[in-house]
Formats: sequence, C-alpha cells, structure tokens
Amino acid sequence: MPDTDDRRRTGPEWVTLAVSSLVLAVVVVLLIGQIGAGDEPPRPTVAVGAIVGRGESFEVPVSVRNGGDRAASNVQVTASLRVGSSSTEADQTIDFLGAGETEDLVFVFADDPADGQLTVAVGGFAAP
Amino acid sequence: MTSTATAPAGASPATPGGGAWRQEVTDLARAATGALLFGIPLLYTMEVWWTGIQATPVQSLVALALSFVAAVVLNHTSGFRSTRDVRLADAVADAVEVVGLSIVLAAVLLFVLHEITVDTPRGVVLGKLAFEAVPLSIGAALAGQFLHEGRDGGSGGGDGDDDDASPDTSPRPTLADIGATMIGAVFVAMNIAPTDEIPMLDTAMGPPRVLALLAASLVVSYAIVFAAGFSGESQRRAQTGLLQDPLTETIVCYLVSLVVAGGLLWAFDRTEGPWTISLTHIVVLGLPAAVGGAAGRIAI
Repeated sequence: MPDTDDRRRTGPEWVTLAVSSLVLAVVVVLLIGQIGAGDEPPRPTVAVGAIVGRGESFEVPVSVRNGGDRAASNVQVTASLRVGSSSTEADQTIDFLGAGETEDLVFVFADDPADGQLTVAVGGFAAP
Repeated sequence: MTSTATAPAGASPATPGGGAWRQEVTDLARAATGALLFGIPLLYTMEVWWTGIQATPVQSLVALALSFVAAVVLNHTSGFRSTRDVRLADAVADAVEVVGLSIVLAAVLLFVLHEITVDTPRGVVLGKLAFEAVPLSIGAALAGQFLHEGRDGGSGGGDGDDDDASPDTSPRPTLADIGATMIGAVFVAMNIAPTDEIPMLDTAMGPPRVLALLAASLVVSYAIVFAAGFSGESQRRAQTGLLQDPLTETIVCYLVSLVVAGGLLWAFDRTEGPWTISLTHIVVLGLPAAVGGAAGRIAI
C-alpha cells in the first residue's frame, strides 16, 4: 500500500529523539541489570544512633534498612526500655520499605536509656 | 489505502532554522502539558509510589513496555505534534520521545516532591519512574486531543469576543480568566485535596523544595497557556485587557489557584496547625490546582 505521508523529521526532532532514546535506554539497561542482582527476601534491620536528651525526655534515633532484594511492608519496629523495675515500650510501623531503602525513626523516652537496658528490634513485617 | 499528514487548526508547520526549534519546543511543551493534565493526580498518589517500591524489575519493564505500546497507538491516531503521525515509524519514534519525556518529568517532579532523593536506592527510583511514566505517557500521547477549542479562538469554539486584539481595558476578559482558572483548579485539585498525600509530601519536602515546586507551578502554568501551542494561544498573547499580559496573567491566575487550593484544604479540614504548615500545604496542592487552572483558561 502506498503511503503518501511525506513528513520528514526536522533536526530538533532528531535531537529530541536521540535524548529520549538515551533516557529510555539507560532506564531499561538499569532495570535489566537489576533482574540478575538477586532475589533475597526482605531483611529489615535496625541501627540505633546517638541518644539525644531534650529537656526531660530522651530521643533515640533508629535507622531501619532493608538489606534484602525485595520490598517489605508494614514493618513494625519496637523499642523497649527497662530501667530498674519499670519498663516502657513503644512501636512504630513503616508502610513500605523498598530493597536497600532506609527509613529514620525517633523513639522518645522519659527515662535516660543510659540508665537502663534499651532494646530496639524489628517486630515483624509483611513480604508483599 | 492512502494516508496523509494533517495539522490541527491553529498549528503552524515546522519551518527551517530557529522556527524548527521553536516548533519542537512547542510540541514538547504540549506533550508535557498533556502528561501533567492526565498524570498529575497519580503523581500525588501514594499507592503508585508504593507500587513502584514493591515492583520487581520485570514488572517495571512491563509497565514501561505498556507505556510504550499505548504511546505508539495513541501517536498513530492523536499524538502530541502539530503534524499527526501516520507512518508507524513516526509513531514509534514519537513514542520513544513520549516515554523518555515522561520519565524525565516524573523524575523532576518526584525529586521536587521528595519522593526520590539522591539516597533513594536505584531499584526504588526505577520502579517509581516506570509506574509514574504510564499515566504521563498516555497523557502526553493524547495531548493533541486536549483542549482543541478555545473560548477566544481556535476552530470556532469560542464566542469570538476575544478575537479582537484591539486595546481593551475592560475587566471582562480578566474576570473570565479568573473564573475559568477557579473552575479548572477545583476540577483537578478537588481530587487531591482530601487525601493524606498533601501532609505526607509537606512534612518531607522542606523549604527549598517547596520554593522549587512554586517555581515549577508557575512555569507549568505559563507553558500550558502560552507555550504549548493550544488553540487560541496567539489571541491570548495579543489580548490587551486588564492583567492580560502573559506574565501578569500567569502570576495572577497562579495566585487564584492558590486561593482555590487553600479553600479546598479548608473545606476538607486540612488547614489545622500553624499557618506556615497550612501555607506549605497550599503550595503543594497549588501545582495540580495551577495545572487545572491553566487548562481551564484554555478550555472554557
């Protein structure tokens, strides 16, 4: 079938096509590269940072990192502080934590964690 | 069967030299406009971000492939250029441009919205870009179908009153623009105002990103009305009424969009807390409101 369309791409259109092709190619190559990168299940871990005293409370910064190759959802992080005979517990939930992603949380306690035993852990998560 | 290349009313053919570059910029602005009109609600949807986080590389590639196929089909019938793609090769080439542009657009806006940062893992970035590129690509490839008829020109859809470019200091065109901006802003921003995404984005962004979003909103608003080559653009540029200068009109209508955004947030009880937080909420919602408002000025 004959095609009478005589549209010819202009120079700027070729430039746009070249740049777009490059962008698309980079994304596709990176995604293909990720396919063979591993298929480990989600592995969220916590790291406790330097505790900061603010007035009469103490802030405990916690970084939660997913070391697996798949995302985790509803990552529950629990922190408990035992000072003497009293115990304080707190928990937070991260909706989604992608592979390699890190979320920063802060737990706040009335007692100084240096005076007792602080335990921060991942309580559970869903593997979507 | 024969096919011919056609140009919609009001579009000017590409000319050599600087004209070709100007035409290309206009075409790309039109594509970006279509992408934002269609895709901005999903750019502000946390479930799409989460889908990008969870997606495997294969799923992200499938999303990109779907974007590409949809863009080829739509370019074949609509497209974003002033000349229609008839040959399959042109539709495919323009689809590459549509998807590439959508990826860049998604990257810039998600970065400004703090949904991707320099610390975000590569897989998460790629997933988010791939899934956000789907609605943006469809919108970009449909851009030629959007907003053909302007109230002040185009192919006859307007009332004709504004076609006269003679000096006019009456407030009527300005009032019409403000009304159209309000209607368009409500139409787009009302879908987003009651959602949790606004406070979520707000808390993560910080002042530099909020200012960048404000600047982006103004650029997008200007581009939609005065750079994307939709019908009536030349008449709009020639208008001489009160506040009808392109830059003045853009700024005034952006402020109107912000007022609409503030009103919607107030109506949905999203303005509690310090005024600084409410102001940031308004600027965050101001982008979709400005996109809607600009489209409203062309469409109504």
